Amino acid sequence: MSDPNAPRGPRVILEEDTRPAQRLDFQWEQAVVPVAEPRPTVRWSGIGRVLGGGALLIGGITLIDSVNFVVDQFGRGMLEGAATLGVVAGGIALIGSGVWREFRGLASIRNVDQARAAFARGDLATAKAEALRWAATVPDGAALVPAIQAARTVDELQLALQPCMQSLEQRAGALGRSAAMQAFAVTAISPSPALDALIFAWRGVRLVRQVASLHGLRPGLFGTLALLRRTLWDAATVAATDVVLDAGARALLSNPLLQHVAGEVGAGAVAVRRMLRLAKVSAEACRITPTQ
Amino acid sequence: MSGLLDPFGLLRDAAYGAERFGRSLLGQERIRLAVTGLTRAGKTVFITSLLANLLAAGRGRRTLPALEAAAGGRLRGVKAVAPELHGLPRFDVAAHVAALAANPPAWPARTDDLSSLELVLELDRQSLFGSVMGPRTITLELLDYPGEWLLDLPMLRQDFAAWSQATLARLRSGPRAAEAARFFAFLDALPNYAPADDSLIREGAALYRDTLRGCRDKLGFRFLQPGRLLNPGPRGETPLLWFFPVPRLLQGELAEAMAERHRAYIEAQREEFFEPYFRRFERQAVLVDVLGALHAGREAFEDTADALAAIAEALRYGGGWLDWLTGVGVDRVAFVATKADHVPARQRDALSALLGHLVAAPQGRVASAGVATSVHALASVRCTEDDVATLDGRPVAAVRGVLMESRRSAKVYPGEIPLRPPEPGFWEHGFFEMPEFQPPRLDPAGGAGVPHLGLDALVAALIGDKL
Ligand SMILES: Nc1nc2c(ncn2[C@@H]2O[C@H](COP(=O)(O)OP(=O)(O)OP(=O)(O)O)[C@@H](O)[C@H]2O)c(=O)[nH]1
Ligand SMILES: [Mg+2]
Repeated sequence: MSDPNAPRGPRVILEEDTRPAQRLDFQWEQAVVPVAEPRPTVRWSGIGRVLGGGALLIGGITLIDSVNFVVDQFGRGMLEGAATLGVVAGGIALIGSGVWREFRGLASIRNVDQARAAFARGDLATAKAEALRWAATVPDGAALVPAIQAARTVDELQLALQPCMQSLEQRAGALGRSAAMQAFAVTAISPSPALDALIFAWRGVRLVRQVASLHGLRPGLFGTLALLRRTLWDAATVAATDVVLDAGARALLSNPLLQHVAGEVGAGAVAVRRMLRLAKVSAEACRITPTQ
Repeated sequence: MSGLLDPFGLLRDAAYGAERFGRSLLGQERIRLAVTGLTRAGKTVFITSLLANLLAAGRGRRTLPALEAAAGGRLRGVKAVAPELHGLPRFDVAAHVAALAANPPAWPARTDDLSSLELVLELDRQSLFGSVMGPRTITLELLDYPGEWLLDLPMLRQDFAAWSQATLARLRSGPRAAEAARFFAFLDALPNYAPADDSLIREGAALYRDTLRGCRDKLGFRFLQPGRLLNPGPRGETPLLWFFPVPRLLQGELAEAMAERHRAYIEAQREEFFEPYFRRFERQAVLVDVLGALHAGREAFEDTADALAAIAEALRYGGGWLDWLTGVGVDRVAFVATKADHVPARQRDALSALLGHLVAAPQGRVASAGVATSVHALASVRCTEDDVATLDGRPVAAVRGVLMESRRSAKVYPGEIPLRPPEPGFWEHGFFEMPEFQPPRLDPAGGAGVPHLGLDALVAALIGDKL
């Protein structure tokens, strides 16, 4: 029994106390509590750099040219100078405000993502801040503010938002129904399938934007693209909502006259279902709380 | 290699490779993480801990700091994918965590069936156009299965005669011979032209199964085939399993019947186990209970090394021109010494070093296919604290935990872990096992993950590049 290097297997030294021992406690829950994370840095991808460079060149050179031009014009006379300055400034301001709106649109969609992530993480502080910001943008949001401020857990917060979310969902449904009826009418009368598809796409995009503005979002072009991507790719939600929608489509088409037309057109029923689905899925994509 | 013999397999590989490429372009990648380990290596516990800690990390808990660092704060959420209707049984993380947390706690029983789970990691995009493209996702596929079945993979390439010869030779050597004595007596008593009599076959198969069980449970051996005879799975024993190796001299009906069943068994395992789950994977974690193998004695230690080498030989790691053509192959392989909480902190490096020697053959094979490898020591569920024990008046570094059986607190000195496979003299004293420890206090809902040692470093090494 002398040399501990010669293995005699593990040596077990029981402690004196013969009663069952407490389990070890590493205070793990406390050790892993979330901390405020630093925002990850945004990196410029290759394409981003190319586009950014192009924009800088076009924008910068145009600006320099315009300034030169205005200065030249002032050289000709006060009136010409002032008029040119007004035109140039107005143009730049319009472009700037457009870009700014695009930017805001994208940022507002990012906010939705952040809010949802905060809810999923159980991060009360961020979720609350996002909910307050959101309440300021929807029509009847002001009434919710006290309840939001009073919430002590994420679940309570979600519960407080629930009624408003439900009414938003209903309104999105109504928008979807009217878009569906329009799409249906178009397929019933339009002469060519290609035209159908075009009108359809346009109506679909409009629907997504309507639903978004219902949720307080003002998506620009890029924002709409982002929303569309989400609504079209979120296969899981689509599968889950399909069942509900079939019933909805049937109810809409229960009018015997419409049924007659739908029977003839065939594509009409599909169109209705697609629009209803689009309304539902875009409403999902715009909510700041995760779906249950 | 198998691609050449099987044009359909090649086509499927090509389709799979194309899908992978498309997914990586869209930022919707899938990674199949093959967790391989012999029986009792700690697969089920590892998968439980990995899933619980990843899910917790998705909720913002800092359970896996090294992974967090690799993701650069972009990990936005982790979700378990809803199970498919016709898929495998779902690996039930919540139930496993609840059993570990219960009072009294329970380790998972021996796994006896396949189960799987997919996790989706959602990550913010790095680029400015991220919000247009939506979040990047990485789907991680994991599979749990009985460790015994892995040893069927090397069988897929052997015919019955070769398999019989190799298996009997192994059974005759070392301490296995004593366990196999009754089976050998049965073989010796067989007439040269034995009939394919059902009762005879069942008797032989039962003796062979008892031999394998004895080798596994009493001696700690692992290279035992066929795996399903040891662990038949949910369907129980079927006639498919009733075969055993026979000497080359034996001829006649019995030998033919054995060869026939061996072939049918291999086909079944190829179709149900190898093709769907092990033909293609991108990352692999090879779990090894190094301390268990060390304590089981010299022959068992070498047997474990042989088993790991044979399995690595049977898996495809890419690197061939066919793999290059189809775009299928393994990117990273990590060799992992599990249950590192059985040794005090300062011995864990020795544990990794010893593992490095134990898996030298598989590591060489994997590296020759151009795959990056690494060696780790980890505890999926940390059950001990470091402490100092006094042995024969000398202080030694030990670990302290609560024993599973007696529920008493104890210090355990695991012995000095050698840095390389030791000399035969080291093993004079025979077969030992580490005592089982109780898991620490856990949250039964598992919301904060489970305490571990080094799991984050392993996960970062395996999938960090994709984040
Ligand atoms: N202390 C400690 N013990 C562990 C750890 N991981 C596994 N064990 C022990 O090892 C045993 C086997 O682990 P499992 O995960 O069930 O092994 P397996 O590889 O799934 O085995 P099979 O299902 O038979 O293939 C457990 O019952 C535990 O006692 C660990 O991280 N720490
Ligand atoms: Mg298991």
